[in-house]
Amino acid sequence: MNTKKWKSIGTVLGETNISEFYFSLKNYKAKKGDIITTESKIPSSEGNIVPVTVWGKISSIESSNVFFPTEAAQELTNENIDIRDTILPTTRDELICKVIILGFTLKDNLKLMPLNYPVRPAATVSYPSSEDVEALLISDLDSEHPLFIGSLLARDAVKIKIDADNLVSRHVSIFGMSGSGKTVMVRRIMDELLKKKYPMLVLDIHGDYLGFIQKQKKLYPKNEVKLFYPNLSVSSDDKEIIYTLIDKLGNSLTDPQKDFLSSLLEKVKYEGGSLLKYIELLVRKAREYASDSSKSFKNIRPASMYVVVRSLGQVAKKLKNMEQTNFRHRQKMSKLKFEELPDAATEPEKIINKGQLSILYLKGYENLPASAIVSILLENLFKHRQEVEEEIPPFLTIIEEAHNFIPSRSEDKDNLPSVDTIRKVITEGRKFGTGVMIISQRPSRLDETIASQCNSQIVFRMVNQKRPKSNY
Amino acid sequence: MSNETDIKNKIKSNSSLFTNFVKNAVSASPKVQNNFLDVSTQVALTVQRILEDANLITNLEYKGKDFWSENKCKTSCFVDGGVDKTSIISSAPLSIRTGSYIVKPDAADKNREFFEESMVFLGDLYDPKNELYDFAEDDFDEDQMLNKKKDGARIIFEAVTIVKHILLNRKFDYCFLHGPIEATVMPFTVMGFPTFTKFAVENMLPFYNKNKLNAEARHFINVYLEALNSIKKSKFPIYGIVETSNSAPYIKNLLFNYKSKGTISEKDFKNTLATIKKYKITDSHLLEIILQSGQAIKPLEVKKQIKGFSVTSGSAWEDKMDSFPSVHIGYIKINDHSAPIRIESLNPSKNLIKDYEYILATARLLPNYGFPVGLNVVDKFAKIPNWMSKASRKYYATHLLKQAIRSKDQNTISLAVKILSKKVRSWRNRPLGGLVR
Repeated sequence: MNTKKWKSIGTVLGETNISEFYFSLKNYKAKKGDIITTESKIPSSEGNIVPVTVWGKISSIESSNVFFPTEAAQELTNENIDIRDTILPTTRDELICKVIILGFTLKDNLKLMPLNYPVRPAATVSYPSSEDVEALLISDLDSEHPLFIGSLLARDAVKIKIDADNLVSRHVSIFGMSGSGKTVMVRRIMDELLKKKYPMLVLDIHGDYLGFIQKQKKLYPKNEVKLFYPNLSVSSDDKEIIYTLIDKLGNSLTDPQKDFLSSLLEKVKYEGGSLLKYIELLVRKAREYASDSSKSFKNIRPASMYVVVRSLGQVAKKLKNMEQTNFRHRQKMSKLKFEELPDAATEPEKIINKGQLSILYLKGYENLPASAIVSILLENLFKHRQEVEEEIPPFLTIIEEAHNFIPSRSEDKDNLPSVDTIRKVITEGRKFGTGVMIISQRPSRLDETIASQCNSQIVFRMVNQKRPKSNY
Repeated sequence: MSNETDIKNKIKSNSSLFTNFVKNAVSASPKVQNNFLDVSTQVALTVQRILEDANLITNLEYKGKDFWSENKCKTSCFVDGGVDKTSIISSAPLSIRTGSYIVKPDAADKNREFFEESMVFLGDLYDPKNELYDFAEDDFDEDQMLNKKKDGARIIFEAVTIVKHILLNRKFDYCFLHGPIEATVMPFTVMGFPTFTKFAVENMLPFYNKNKLNAEARHFINVYLEALNSIKKSKFPIYGIVETSNSAPYIKNLLFNYKSKGTISEKDFKNTLATIKKYKITDSHLLEIILQSGQAIKPLEVKKQIKGFSVTSGSAWEDKMDSFPSVHIGYIKINDHSAPIRIESLNPSKNLIKDYEYILATARLLPNYGFPVGLNVVDKFAKIPNWMSKASRKYYATHLLKQAIRSKDQNTISLAVKILSKKVRSWRNRPLGGLVR
C-alpha cells in the first residue's frame, strides 16, 4: 500500500471524534459513498504514539456558495438572466463532507481495527487507490469459494467478495424496504452460487425468480433450473397440520367437536399423498359417522359431528380454490414448464441436487397453506440431511417475503407450522449443511430466534424501524 | 400633484428619512421636530430646482438580460478591506487584510473569477517590533490613537491594493472600492500619530524612493497621497462606492457653486447650510426623495481635504491638504426603497453614462439591498471571521501568560491572569461616581 500515491482531496475540519468527522472537499474530487483516508496518530498500549491510516466512508456532502446572495437568485429568475453572464461568483462552492469512520489500519497491515482516538483536525484527506480499497475490504477473505456480490457504489473498480461457505452454512438475512434492492441482491448471490453449482431451493410467492428459468439456457447451461408448483402431500402422521388448517381456515371448534376430530384422525387411515384428498376422505368418513347415529362415538352428538364435517368441507374448498388460483397463474405463463413438486419424503433428490436450482412457485396460496407446504417440504428435506447425508447434498433455502413463513408475534400470525420447522433448520442446520437465506422488509417482522441465528446480514435502506416516541 | 406635495408624500413614506426624523426627535428641540417635514421639503425643492436647472439629473437604462449579455466580456475588480476588532488589555492585536474579487463573466471556468488576498497584516500595535507602525510613546488618548492606527492601516491597505493592480498592469474594465475613493485625512494630522515603518512603506509602495524614506515621507499623509496620485494615473476607471452618505458634500458644493456664480445670494447660501446642519440633512436623504429609481446625478468635483479645520489648523500638514486630488462625486438611486449610493472617482468619467449603468446593473443584482453585488462578495471575502478573531485572541493570551510564567515572578503572573480575565476595556471597569449604594 503506497499511501504517497494517493491524491489529496481535502482537509479535516474543526471538531472530530472517533466515529465521524467532517472535511472540506476539493471540487469534484469525491462523491457520496466513496472510501477516503486520513493519516492520524493513536496512543498504543505500550505508551508509544503510533501512526495509523484512518479509513472512512463519505455519508453525505453539502455544498454552499457563501458569496452568492439569495436575493440575487430572485433577480436572475425574474429577469431571466444567465448567471454566467453576470459578475456573480459561480465557482466558489464550499463542499463539506460527513465521514463515517470505518476504522484504522497500521502500516503494512490491512486489518481494519476500531478507532479509539479522534482523527487530527486540519489533517489532509486522501483518496486511496481502488486496489488498496479492494485490498482493505477483502483483506481477511481467505475463501476457497469467494462470491462476487458487487462493486462499491462510488467506485466501480472496487470488487467486493464474500465467502460462499460462510454465507451459506451460517445463514444470511437480507433486509430493506420495498424497492431497496433486496431481490436484486439475492439474484446476484444466486447467480454466483449457481456458477459454483451449489444446490438451492427458492420459496417464491410472487414469481420474482422466474427469470432464472427463462435465462437458464443462455446463462446457466450447465445448471438444472426447475420450477415446481405445490402439491400438499401428507400422511396420517401429519395430524398437527390438519388441526392447524381447520383452526385457521375452518370454523372454530368446541371441545366435544375437537374430540371428534381427534378420534376421526385416529380412525381414518391414509397411506399418504395429496392433502386435499386426505381432507376429502375425512369429510366422507365424518359424514358417515354422523349419519350412523354415532355407534362409534356414543358420547358425541351428531350435530357436533356435522360441525366438523362442515369445517373440513370449508378447508377442502379453500384449498381447492388456492390450487385453482395457482393453476390460473401458471396458465398465464404457458411458456414456462411447471412441474408438480415431488414428494420430498420419497424423492428428495428431485428437488435438491448438485447444480440444481428449484423454485417453488407459491403464488395464489394464502399464508397458512403456503406455510404448511413449506413446513412439510423443509421438514422432509432436513430429515434427509439429518439421517442420510449422502442422499441429498448440502443446500441453501431462500425464503422470499420471509415474514409470511416466520412472522414475529407482532404480526399476529402465530402458530404457522413453518415457524417451528424453519427454527429447527436454522438452529441445527449448520451441522447438516442446510443453510437458510431469509429476505424481509425489516427484522422486527420476523421471529426473533430465527432472525438472531443469521450470522451474515445484508441491510438496505430501512425506515420507520420503530415508531418515534411521542412527546406529550 | 404639486412638486411640494409630491416631495412631502415621499418624505412621509420613506424609511431612511423616517429614521432621520426619529433621530431628530431624540436630539432636537420640539420646535425643530415640528418643522422637520417643512424644512426638508423646502430644502429638497430648492436642491431639485438647482439640479434640474444645471441639468445634473440623468436617467439610466437597465435591461437586465440584454445588459449582461452585452457586458459579459468586461473584467471587473472589486476591492475591500477587513479588520479584526479584537481587543485585549495591554496589547493591541491587529489582523487586517484586503481582498480583491476579479471577475470576467465570459471567461472559461478556470479564469472566470479570482479571489485574491492582496494585503495582510497580523501583529500587535503595542509591540515595538511590529512591522506596520514605528513605535511611539503616545501621549495622545490611547484608545483613540489605537483606533486611528487601525483606520489608517485599513485605508492605506485598500488604496495600496488598487495601486498594486495598476503596477501589475492588470487589464480591468472597471475597478471598484468598497468605500470612499479618498478618505478624509484630517484625523491623521494629529500630533503624535506614528509613521509607518520602512519595511511597511517599501512593501506597500515599492516605487517609493528608498533613499528618501525619512520619517516625514513615511507619515500616513504622504504615503496616502502617493497612493492616491498613483490611482489617479490609472488607465482603467476606478470608483469608490459609498453605501450611505452621512454628510452632504454634494449639496454643499452645489450650493457653493451657485453662490459663486451669483445665482444664489451669500445670505441664502449661509441660511441653507445652517438648516442642513441643524436638521442633519445629508446628500442621501435629500437625493432619496428627489431621484427616481434608475436616476443618477452627474458628478461634481469636490475638495475633500479642506484647510482651516480646528484639528489640522496649525498642524504641520495644513499646507499639504491642497495637494490631495479633488474627488468627483455623483449618486445613483438603484431602487425605490433604498438610499442613493455615492459614486466617487479621482478623474472625470470618460463614459459616465455607461459606467453608471454598469454600476446600476451590478447593484440591481441585489434588488433589495441595492448595492453592487461584487462589493458585497468581496466584503464577505475580506471580512475577518469570528473564528479567526478568536484564534488571534487565544494566541495573544497564551503568549502573555507564557511570558509571565517564564519571569517566575508571582506578581507578574497574577497581573497577567488579571489582565486576561478582563475581556475588554469597558464601562464596567470604570470607578463608580456618586453615592455608592
